[in-house]
Amino acid sequence: MVSSLSRAFAAAVAAFACVFAAAPAQAHPHVFVKMASELVYAPDGSVTGVRHAWTFDDMFSAYATQGLDQKEKGRFTREELAPLAEINVTSLKEYDFFTFAKADGRTALFDPPVDYWLDYTDEVLTLHYTLPLKQAVKAKALELEVYDPSYFVEFSFREKDPVALVGAPAQCKATMAKPPEAELNKARRLSEAFFDQLGAGTVDAQLANRISVVC
Amino acid sequence: MRFFRPLMMILALMLVVLGLADIAAHAQGGNPFGGSGGPPAAPPDGIVGWLLARQAEFYRGLSALIRQARTDGTAVWGLLGLSFLYGIFHAAGPGHGKAVISSYVIANDETWRRGVALSFASAFLQALVAVAVVGIAAVLLGVTAARMNDAVRIIEIVSYGLIVLIGLRLMWVKGRGLVSALRGRNHENHAHAHHDHEHHGHGHDGHHHHDDHCGHSHGPEPKDLAGPGGWRRGLAAIFAVGLRPCSGAILVLVFAFAQGLFWAGVASAFIMGFGTALTVAAIAVFAVGAKGLAMRLLGHSGGSGVLVLRGVELLAAVLVFLFGLALLMGYMANERLMGF
Repeated sequence: MVSSLSRAFAAAVAAFACVFAAAPAQAHPHVFVKMASELVYAPDGSVTGVRHAWTFDDMFSAYATQGLDQKEKGRFTREELAPLAEINVTSLKEYDFFTFAKADGRTALFDPPVDYWLDYTDEVLTLHYTLPLKQAVKAKALELEVYDPSYFVEFSFREKDPVALVGAPAQCKATMAKPPEAELNKARRLSEAFFDQLGAGTVDAQLANRISVVC
Repeated sequence: MRFFRPLMMILALMLVVLGLADIAAHAQGGNPFGGSGGPPAAPPDGIVGWLLARQAEFYRGLSALIRQARTDGTAVWGLLGLSFLYGIFHAAGPGHGKAVISSYVIANDETWRRGVALSFASAFLQALVAVAVVGIAAVLLGVTAARMNDAVRIIEIVSYGLIVLIGLRLMWVKGRGLVSALRGRNHENHAHAHHDHEHHGHGHDGHHHHDDHCGHSHGPEPKDLAGPGGWRRGLAAIFAVGLRPCSGAILVLVFAFAQGLFWAGVASAFIMGFGTALTVAAIAVFAVGAKGLAMRLLGHSGGSGVLVLRGVELLAAVLVFLFGLALLMGYMANERLMGF
């Protein structure tokens, strides 16, 4: 009896294990952003904020512009997109704008965005906005990370001029680093998973697109 | 003392199940391709692991093919093929549909045919809801994405709420089953063991196509949905799982509409649903088969065996309930459907 019971346990356990662990992955990001970021400097050499330009993929762009008023089909003016830009920056606040900064190792916080607008070219949307630092900082080493920890949105640097320093002292140099492909694959397997929904964890900062400025 | 051992075994089983699930979750974290250890570049899952990791590329390929179909009609075939693959692989992961249906068929003592029928019906409904939402909201009414998000959010709450209710109902029924199995062991055991035998035979034979009836059928008949408990119970499960449209399907539909090819998006959504149904059905059949095997093995062990089975069913019921709760709360904490 004991042996048949233990075999039955094995079968039942196998059934459950199969249900929850058989195929290890599903999720994938539903929004893809090609980004370019400029670090803006004051005349005294301190960083005042980040100017983002995020270009969305074609499917999300079609979704986001669905039903918006337009004078001419296939075109959207900046004014026509203004309400959407407002929604964008308002909802992005909840996610800390997916932007995380450290000045000489200390976390630097941002104020709400300014100068935001949307542009529609070649059927894709680009969101332009500036995130001012709460306090302008002079830092020897500035680290900026852009990523979505839940990996619903996949950020990547755009090909052309992804990083720029605006008005920075001559000795400041910027470098960028993409998240390793291995980490992206890992995230692709874990996000949206059942265990995430139970709060077991999110993918870590390995997913971050990093910009480092050394002065 | 008489109940001590079976109870301990049920507890042990629960711990093992939770432990396994936990290990599985963490093992995935240890390596980008899901195996434990090994260099990160090696794909131990072979072609399946590779395909799963390429899901995002499948997804992105859909928009490229819709765009292409505008000028080149043959691209539609590529779109349908890719939609099918995307459906299969999208459903392969820990999505709620697969997990809820598997737990549900185990808890509710369903046949494999009913498992298959539930999988197909819910996947079909899911595609239908996606088409209906986009068709009504975007094509007919021309509302904005924000309004469409609101609609999906409401559907989502109803769907997850239904899962919670089904879980609660199953917990109540199975909890009572366990209690009565604990009380009147002799009489109850006999009846249940007999029933279990029968049930297993059905699942097993069907699986291997030895049964005339199953062997000749080309798919689940609608009447399969009206098994023990009738239509209403099956419908509740179908709606609970199928109401929430998948975000990918909605995005594809809206994009196809924007490209002036709404019908291509509709075809894509239904083919995606077909792929999803195949995966979920396969897993549901496996779950039923594994339970059938456990029942056959337990058939020889008398009273304790029945207790274990009732325990497993109760555990599955609890899981359905937890899924619903997690989904509801995940929604609360995480309003992610194209939130910006």
